[in-house]
Amino acid sequence: MKRVGLPLALLALLLGVWELYVDLGGADPVILPPPHDVLKSLVDDRGLLWSNFLVSAREVVLGIVLAVMVALLLAIAIHFSATLRRAAYPLLIASQTIPFPMLAPLLVLWLGFGIAPKLVVIAIVSFFPIVVTTFAALEAVDRDLLKLMRTFDASRGRTFWHVELPSALPGVFTGTKVAVVVAVIGAVFAELAGANSGLGYLFQQAEANLLIPRAYAAVVILSLFAIVLFALLTIAEHRVLPWAYQSRGDVAQ
Amino acid sequence: MKRCLSACAALALATVALAACGEKAEVTTGSAGAGQPLRLMLDWVPNADHVGIYQGLSEGDFAQAGLAVRVQVPSDPATPLELVAAGKVDAAISYEPELMLARNRGLPLVAIAAIVQRPLTSIISLGSNRIAQPRDLPGKTVGDAGIAYQHAYLQTILARAGVSTDKVKEVNVGANLVPAMLSRRVDATLGGYWNYEAIQLAQRGKRPNVIRMDEVGVPAYDELVLVVRRDTLANRSDELHRFVQAMARGYKSVRRDPTAAVDTLVRANPGLDRKLQLASVRATLGAFFPSAPGKPWGWQDPARWTAYGAWMLAHRLITNPNAAADASTNQLLAGQGV
Repeated sequence: MKRVGLPLALLALLLGVWELYVDLGGADPVILPPPHDVLKSLVDDRGLLWSNFLVSAREVVLGIVLAVMVALLLAIAIHFSATLRRAAYPLLIASQTIPFPMLAPLLVLWLGFGIAPKLVVIAIVSFFPIVVTTFAALEAVDRDLLKLMRTFDASRGRTFWHVELPSALPGVFTGTKVAVVVAVIGAVFAELAGANSGLGYLFQQAEANLLIPRAYAAVVILSLFAIVLFALLTIAEHRVLPWAYQSRGDVAQ
Repeated sequence: MKRCLSACAALALATVALAACGEKAEVTTGSAGAGQPLRLMLDWVPNADHVGIYQGLSEGDFAQAGLAVRVQVPSDPATPLELVAAGKVDAAISYEPELMLARNRGLPLVAIAAIVQRPLTSIISLGSNRIAQPRDLPGKTVGDAGIAYQHAYLQTILARAGVSTDKVKEVNVGANLVPAMLSRRVDATLGGYWNYEAIQLAQRGKRPNVIRMDEVGVPAYDELVLVVRRDTLANRSDELHRFVQAMARGYKSVRRDPTAAVDTLVRANPGLDRKLQLASVRATLGAFFPSAPGKPWGWQDPARWTAYGAWMLAHRLITNPNAAADASTNQLLAGQGV
């Protein structure tokens, strides 16, 4: 109870301060709406918010899937090849310096207005943590298990499939949990760069119509979505990899 | 270990399944954009200025002309001309000054119709500031979006009013014109529209003062124009002719029944504020049509275009005289065939 109660109490306090600040004339409610106006928009505009949420949610989920696939392939490739690791790792890190809000409109120029540029932007911003954690987990495989496989005269492929890949899964989950949070931000920037629907687009339209409570409502929904994705991944992780939690000491690093 | 393997397999399967449906989605959007439809990019998010286009779509004006028009919203007002030049869209809505600048950069573009026939750009201030004319500006701070030609508007206005330019402080507030005024960081803004920001503020009880550009010395220009690439005009002139005619029908229908047209606009774009759009359409109705009698919808007054181009050249906003010459053509408008 305390785990949920304390953060909720702090949140309530912060919202109260926000409400009071606006009510007492600290800011014009047109540009900084009080929380109850945002809540009202969440209720009144629920149809609009929901239909646009579905668009963004689809982009985020598919973008994450793309990111996981790319990241897995990369992590496995650099795990197997030391040369590739030396060649690709610096570039991987350098890819994180790309200012993606600037890149998004350029990708639209190239890839058009469909879902493709959105998936690329989301994948670019979210694949990196997955590569790093997966690769680290692959490198941290229990040496005794590897020795055991060698004793059985197992092939490289069998060792990978039965020992290394299962050991790397906790790393995949850890990286993906970090990635979903940035993926949501990536989706917004991708939509701002050219879209006809989605919460990022609705945000832009609400701002242009000076419907600021609705813009805040879109922000609230997006951050809730990131939290829900994070929680779902945590649950899935416990379900899929119970052993990783039983013998935490030597598998998950 | 077995459990893990099946988990691995499930994960891999789910990944492949989801990826497959992702690829499918990409293909459909990709192929639909590449074929026959005429891709029209708006200048900004859909709003009252585009009401005739949505009316035309809803009434089937474009379909009757044999056109499948696909409307696209840009990331920001600077991109439509680049995208039409790059061939990513077939036509774009932009602004007469932006078209001149793009042509000065060498982009082979031409305006084929004026959608809004006069400047919408205004100096807007809140009621309490009492900035009703340029002579009220000394000692005030004016926020703008950092656009060179709007800076030149202010210079022109101040020069004509006999106000020294160093008496007015200009700050770049980016796209946040209204918030900058409401938070009192600036006394006035230059760049907001009399048919949009001014109405937004009025509807929220902020009593805006509005100074329109063409009433204080800036040469009149067409705020919104329909732009295509020169080779599109040459190769697809029949299609563009039908396109412009259909759009004209859309705007004429708006003039007949503005309320119904706003309902159409809001139905197509449920995120819009209906009250704001209705007031904005009502205010703009006159500007959708030429003031000169007997001229068709879309008319671009050649003398005004010449005068505006000369003003841009004089203020060194453009350097190539050819950027202004023949920047627009009326050849596709009703009764104006070549």
